[in-house]
Formats: sequence, structure tokens, C-alpha cells
Amino acid sequence: MSQITLAICRHAPYGNALAREGLEAVLAAAAMDQTPDVLFTGDGIFQLLPDQAAGEIDQKSLHRNLQALPMFGVEQIYVCQRSLEERAVSSNRLAIAGINLVLVQDTGGLISRYQHVLSF
Amino acid sequence: MIFSLVVYSAPHAGESAATAVRFARALVDQGHRLYRVFFYGDGVHSGSALAAPPQDEQDLLGQWQALYREHGVDLVVCIAAAQRRGVLSQSEAQRLERPAANLAEGFELGGLGQLADATAHSDRIVTFGGSA
Amino acid sequence: MTLHIVNQSPYRTSALRDCLDAMADGDALLLIEDGVYAAGAPTGIAPIPAGTYCLQADAVARGITPAKSITLIDDERWIALCVEHTPIVSWF
Repeated sequence: MSQITLAICRHAPYGNALAREGLEAVLAAAAMDQTPDVLFTGDGIFQLLPDQAAGEIDQKSLHRNLQALPMFGVEQIYVCQRSLEERAVSSNRLAIAGINLVLVQDTGGLISRYQHVLSF
Repeated sequence: MIFSLVVYSAPHAGESAATAVRFARALVDQGHRLYRVFFYGDGVHSGSALAAPPQDEQDLLGQWQALYREHGVDLVVCIAAAQRRGVLSQSEAQRLERPAANLAEGFELGGLGQLADATAHSDRIVTFGGSA
Repeated sequence: MTLHIVNQSPYRTSALRDCLDAMADGDALLLIEDGVYAAGAPTGIAPIPAGTYCLQADAVARGITPAKSITLIDDERWIALCVEHTPIVSWF
């Protein structure tokens, strides 16, 4: 199956609605059998941190949306290695059941493989 | 060529929403086909009929509506994002028991599937992002 | 080849830096809105690649004179760039 769309998630959860609304858009596209590939980069990698307790600020956990991804056919996500390093986040800490994390160094090369990019 | 635009920015909050409508106008003026404009995030406020900017400022709502009237441009406001932010059609206002509806003429509420559909049917997608 | 569009001041957000990190050889960069503040004097944040485009109206509106290596364009040329490139990535 060839994907034509890459969704780039580069906003942190909770502080910016685009994080949640981006994942919702990914899930909606996947539900229509147009599953995009997904790249987490910049502050978007903070969406992947474990142990988020969004209830403390009366928000819904974004992790539920992430955990729903495999049910909609998203079984791997790309993660920008440089963004992790800049933020001192070890990829070992990031784990979402049923999803294979693929670390990417050449994000430009990745982007160039797609017809469309949706930025969130 | 077939274009679709995605607009995340609220009108009159920054320059981005104005850039989007100017770009849309330039596209159709050049003979390109504008398949859909999808308003998402704070962009859904573009579909509010209640915006009343001063007369010496840009009327972004009127510019979108002109594109709809003159070229039938499909102006889709994401229903989930719009409900959160209070942009409601008559039927949604009734269903959700809200005191008023404000979705402007020319705009329609639609699901996120309309965004996926736009990517499938367009040669190019251009995103107009917010200022946050 | 990708067209990257940056609409944020390089002094305010990481949009430009993130974009430059994600540019492949042959990609094009267009500065619009507050992104044009990167088009003037060297920012000290990141060198702007030669051949970068800048939306002239946005620069003129802000009183910014872009460096000579930057190509000033109008909306019509912007659309042509969109036709010539795929995908189109907005950084905001």
C-alpha cells in the first residue's frame, strides 16, 4: 500500500490544540482507508512522552489517541532523531503499544517521498 | 491544476487567514481549480457570520463568500473543531441546545473525512497555519 | 522537490530552524508574513540558503529589505512555485 500523505506533528500536547486535532485528523483519514504516514518532530515529540497525567489540568490524555493508531492501521510512526537529541529525550523512553517507532535522521528525504504533507 | 487549502488560523488574529483568502483568489483568477478550503482548528472562526470588522479593515468573511458565490468554492468548516469553538449551523444549534446559530452562508459543516477526501482529489495541498 | 513555506519570525519560534533542518537538496524555501524578518540582515540563527524566495508584499509592508541573494516574488509566482513543487510544507 502506498501512502500519498505525510502528517507532520510538531506541536506539543495540551499547550496547543493542533496536537490533539492533528491526531484526530490522522485517525479520521485512517478510518477512510487513507492512512497517512506520521512524523513527529520538533515539540511534537513531547506527545510521545510516557506518564502523561493530563487529568491534572482537566484535559483528556492524548495518549488514548496515540494508542488508537494501530487499530486504524498506523503501525509505525517516524520520529525525528535530532528533535529528540535537542530535547534530551531518549528514544528508549518512548513506547506506544502496537506501534513501531522509526527514528529518522534525514527528514528532508522522508518528506520528499510524499505527494502531500499536512502540518499539525 | 487542482488545489485544496487548509486554514488553521482565526481571521483577524494574525495575517495568515488573510493570506489564505488572497491566495485562494489568486488561484481561481489564474484558472486553477480550488477543490476545497478546509477550515480547521481556530480557522473555523472564518465561518462565523457574526464577524463585524470596521469598514476600513479587510472583510475576510465577505471575501470567502465571494469565492463561493462566483466560483462555487467548497468552504468546509470542520464540525468537531467548530462545535468546540462555537461555530454552529441552525441544525447543530438546535441539536446541541444552544441559543443561536452563526454559520455563515456559503460555508458548510463537514467531518474530517472531507480533509482526507481533499488530499485524495487534489494535486496540491497548501496549509495556512496559525500564530501559536 | 519540496516547497517549504515559513511564516514565523525566526526570533519568535523554531519554525525556520526546523524547516532548514528538514530541507533536502534542491528544495525551495519561501518566506511569508513574519517569516520575512529572516530575509533581511543575517539573523545569527540560521543562514538562509541562496535561492530563497520572499513574498515581496510582506517584506515591503514591514519595511524589510531582503538580502540580494533572495528572490522577491508576488502571489502569481508563489502559485507557480506550488505548481512546480511537491509536496508543499508549511512551517508555523
